[in-house]
Amino acid sequence: MPLPPPLGSPSRPRYLLGRLVRLTLRYRWSCLGLILLNFGLLALGLTALSGVGLAIDYLRAELDPGATVFRFPFGWSPPAGWGSSAILWLFGGLIFGSAALRAVLSHLAAVTTNRLGQGKIVVELRSALYAKMQRMSFRFFDANATGSLINRVTGDTQSVRLFIDGVVVQSLSVVLATGIYLAFLVRIHVGLAFACLAFLPLLWVIVILFARWLRRDYEEGRKKVDSLVLTFEELIRGMGVVTSFGLQEWAERRFLDANAAVRQQKQGVFRKLTILFPLVSLLNQLSMAVLLGYGGWLAIRGELPLGTGLILFAGILQQLAAQVNVVSSVADSLQQTLTGADRVYEILEATPEITDRPGAVPLAEARGHVVFEDVSFRFQPQDTVLQKLSLTIPAGERIAIVGPTGAGKTALIQLIPRFYDPDEGRVTLDGRDLRDWRLDDVRRQVGLVFQESFLFSASVAANIAFGNPEAGREAVERAAKLAAAHEFIEHLPNGYDTLLHENGANLSGGQRQRLALARAILLDPAILILDDPTAAVDPGTEHEILAAMDQVMAGRTTFIVAHRLSTVRRADRIVVLDRGSIVAVGTHEELAKQPGYYRDAVLAERGQSGEGNQAKEGAG
Amino acid sequence: MSQSDPPKKGPKVAGIVDREILEGIRRERGDEDARAQAPLSFRLIRRLFGFTRPYRGKMIGLSVTVLARAIQMPLLAWGAGTIINGPIARGDHKALAWSVAAFVGFALLTELTFRYRIKWALEIGESVIHDLRAAMFRHWLGLTMGYFQRQPVGRLISRLTGDAENVRVGVQNVLFVSLVQGGQMLGCAILMAIEDWRLFLTVLGMAPAVWLMDRFFRKRLSEAYRQQSDSYSRITATMAESVTGIRVTQSFSREGVNATHFRALVEDHASYNMVAARTSGTFLPLLELNGQLFLALLVVIGGSHVLAPNDPMPIGSLIQFFFLAGLFFSPITVLGNMLNEALTAMAGAERVFSVLDTTPDWQDSPMPVTPSELRGQVEMREVVFAYQPDRPVLHGISFRAEAGQCIALVGATGSGKSTVAGLIAKFFVPQSGAVLLDGVDTRDLASPWLHQHLGIVPQQNYLFAGSILENIRLVRPRASREAVEEALRRLDCLEMMEAIPQGLDAEVGAGGASLSLGQRQLICFARALIADPKILILDEATSAIDPLTEERTQRAMRLLMQGRTSFVLAHRLSTLRHADQVIVLEQGRIIERGTPDQLIASGGSFAKQWELASR
Repeated sequence: MPLPPPLGSPSRPRYLLGRLVRLTLRYRWSCLGLILLNFGLLALGLTALSGVGLAIDYLRAELDPGATVFRFPFGWSPPAGWGSSAILWLFGGLIFGSAALRAVLSHLAAVTTNRLGQGKIVVELRSALYAKMQRMSFRFFDANATGSLINRVTGDTQSVRLFIDGVVVQSLSVVLATGIYLAFLVRIHVGLAFACLAFLPLLWVIVILFARWLRRDYEEGRKKVDSLVLTFEELIRGMGVVTSFGLQEWAERRFLDANAAVRQQKQGVFRKLTILFPLVSLLNQLSMAVLLGYGGWLAIRGELPLGTGLILFAGILQQLAAQVNVVSSVADSLQQTLTGADRVYEILEATPEITDRPGAVPLAEARGHVVFEDVSFRFQPQDTVLQKLSLTIPAGERIAIVGPTGAGKTALIQLIPRFYDPDEGRVTLDGRDLRDWRLDDVRRQVGLVFQESFLFSASVAANIAFGNPEAGREAVERAAKLAAAHEFIEHLPNGYDTLLHENGANLSGGQRQRLALARAILLDPAILILDDPTAAVDPGTEHEILAAMDQVMAGRTTFIVAHRLSTVRRADRIVVLDRGSIVAVGTHEELAKQPGYYRDAVLAERGQSGEGNQAKEGAG
Repeated sequence: MSQSDPPKKGPKVAGIVDREILEGIRRERGDEDARAQAPLSFRLIRRLFGFTRPYRGKMIGLSVTVLARAIQMPLLAWGAGTIINGPIARGDHKALAWSVAAFVGFALLTELTFRYRIKWALEIGESVIHDLRAAMFRHWLGLTMGYFQRQPVGRLISRLTGDAENVRVGVQNVLFVSLVQGGQMLGCAILMAIEDWRLFLTVLGMAPAVWLMDRFFRKRLSEAYRQQSDSYSRITATMAESVTGIRVTQSFSREGVNATHFRALVEDHASYNMVAARTSGTFLPLLELNGQLFLALLVVIGGSHVLAPNDPMPIGSLIQFFFLAGLFFSPITVLGNMLNEALTAMAGAERVFSVLDTTPDWQDSPMPVTPSELRGQVEMREVVFAYQPDRPVLHGISFRAEAGQCIALVGATGSGKSTVAGLIAKFFVPQSGAVLLDGVDTRDLASPWLHQHLGIVPQQNYLFAGSILENIRLVRPRASREAVEEALRRLDCLEMMEAIPQGLDAEVGAGGASLSLGQRQLICFARALIADPKILILDEATSAIDPLTEERTQRAMRLLMQGRTSFVLAHRLSTLRHADQVIVLEQGRIIERGTPDQLIASGGSFAKQWELASR
């Protein structure tokens, strides 16, 4: 299969259109059904209108038998003995009968459209998109804002659906309808048909042009409102600063400017709307005037019946006027559809960077022997995060990684659970390249605690059992006890069943981190990675986490990234990183004696806590 | 609904889309969403009308065009019928030409009226919403900090956007569209009654049925739409959580489980969509059927009237009815829609006005004091304070800070240290007791004067959209670039800022350059230094940064505090080390106080913490 053209390339729209058409063809029978339904609706509508026209002509013939001759359509004639009231009931029945059938068909059409669009297409697209996204690599999430990702699953999938029921079905239906109306009118009177429909193309062009023109305005308007809300939110969140520095006037100016910009932009939209609406309405009335003038003239000359001619024409003109909305929405939908499809297929087509290699081996239980062999890694082609880094960590060792911001600490540990793969060199686990183990198995062997651990809005127990939803309550409690979390969980209002707010907002920082520890060790991983777990809590609560850490690290290969000495000192060995390379390795005692980053950091921290001052005084 | 429930296994660990949680979220939001509509209230309407006063000219123009249009629409339809019945039926060519010309002329006039009708309605609506937003914001600026702590930002935003928007729809559409449509209905009714009152009674008899049907389905539809939007917000909420938590999900290999749950959610939403589609798919065809039923009746009843041997109805009337009936029936559904919009607008207006009616928690005394200078002595005497009436957070706090001292406030989350800081800043006033600056009760001091002498460095390191330079000279917009550079130099971080691409002109804040925590903090320090306040309140960041950066911020902080009375909500030992006085709070009471050395020597709770942290 050839590769899809990349985003923004000139052949992309054509390619997307091809994909959309293929998608439509998958649902061709439902689409065909919908078009047939639309056709039925149209035919029944014409029948009802004809009923009215026939009735009027019949009445006129009855009143003045000399002036006009009435003929029933299709050469049919009523049985002898039918009185005029029976015939009137026949017309009435024809009108109501076809209208009733029409109601049933429009119900069917509405339900079918929804079942196809919302029930099938959107469900399939959303599920597929979400499942795919879940497996995308971190690079992908680094590159895309949360809002845009949410939008792809919610809004853009709807845009793709719109192609089927909004563009294909609708435009085919409009073409069909216009064709049938035209044929019907031409059958009655050719000249009048074209005269009355003369304004139709003009109307369509106007509506399509305005739709395109206004859409740009609406987008602009949305941006203005967004910026108003953004300004507002910023000012309200910063209200403490605004008040305490007495900046009220400045804040007011800022808000009023954004507010005025919104109104200013709207004025332009209004100018266009106040042209568009009356113009559309006027064109419809002009068609009516043509009908009255030309049609009236024909009627006077006896070339056109009044009911089945003039009044039927008037009815059809009304129907055509209603179709204008459909035309403008089709034109608008097509553009929207292509934009949406671009963003949906970008993801569906992408191959996740990190997958199982062919022939990957399952890993039941790891020992935890990790080796970095000449590993180089970069997030973006230009920069270098890790350079030819080699390091051996025997199973069960506790290793701390320190270094200034940007040294590559986080990058290094993210290679172990294969959030990223190295660009050069390899990382091995128990002697085999990580990429040759099955990905899920590797990740199961690695327990992770982040700087600020994300908790889901579910119960405490569900959060701890995140890695294994089938885990029983005992397993959950055992993990919690190991992570020194059991006690505080028991004190929560509903114990393990307490629901956490979004991102565990109802817990303290120390509690959140201990829950994250419990979550990490539930699966009894051979490797534990602690990415600066005490960074976001103040020193007062730090010791809560440190005590828990000591317990869970026992018997596991542990990687700790940390700034605070109190955390770092718990390691067997300390690795100092600087600009992607290892500059020193050793125990705390060894490194504290060597000049370099580590000793400076130790001195800086001592100096702040006061002990260093005394030491210096002693030395002096 | 049950078939799309996510499968529950084992002990309540259904995972990220647990039904109960969603219920919980819904209940939490319930108080907000429940009142999406409010009954029509004359008081609210009158007050809203007050906001159109500045646009009186346009209002008059609008009223005239609305009236004109209500008459023009039925006349246009009647005109079409009349042309058919008159010149065409008579076969009068000349009259036909003239009457069609008149028809076109009248159509032009009608559309011209239409143009101004919508122009003025749109402009007035937009102006009113603009003024309402401005009024709300001005009002918010006058409220006290307590209000912003109670109200989530999201709620204020929805006042400003959603509620105001509903009011706009009310102003732009409801009133005038209702008048036009109502007038159109009335006009048609009169014309039909003149043509033939017996047939008109048939039409009239059907109107209530249409109205009732409309109400019935609309109620069911709005319920269906509500469920639809609820299930939709579950999708977006789950989506957001999944993206934010992706690292956790992948590290625990939960991708498959999550995808299954999500599919269930999506199918659930689709089922609500189906309900809505089925309801509206029944309602709209029925409505249309009604109009058709009328046509059928027109043919049967009207037709027999036409053919009646005595007192027959002219066939022309039948044709007139054919043209007018459509115009008579269509407003019914529009009016039903308008009523709904009106009720929504009422709820919006109620909430907008409740913002405008919020009174500040406290106000400056009518004759506030503005001393000529402030030395910076701060004292609290037996201060009791509560955010909610019967739940005091401070129980009798007393302390005194001499001018130029550094006071460290220490205590766990919820101990009351931010409240103490807020009281000094006069964000709140105490329920009893007093906060004194240079011996004067802050209640008697003019707030603007006080805030001129006060500076705050919040923990979030709040930066506004704009350049670094603008953020630093926020308080002194006339400060020169050199002055700002000098301040940064004194804080020993000028090179650090200049190393950022575009230096001091780099855009920060929402969507701006990403700065490190330390950089943001230093910008806020510089801002406070430029403001040069006598009293400084500094909420120290809890997060750890690497030791070398940390040392640099510590030095900058000490420099900033020089010569000012400063209160530090301290999280770091080194800060405590340099404080003149440490006040340890626990649950709204001072449990220990003194110099750091005294406290360490005393062996109390502070000493224990100190030991744990410096180990």
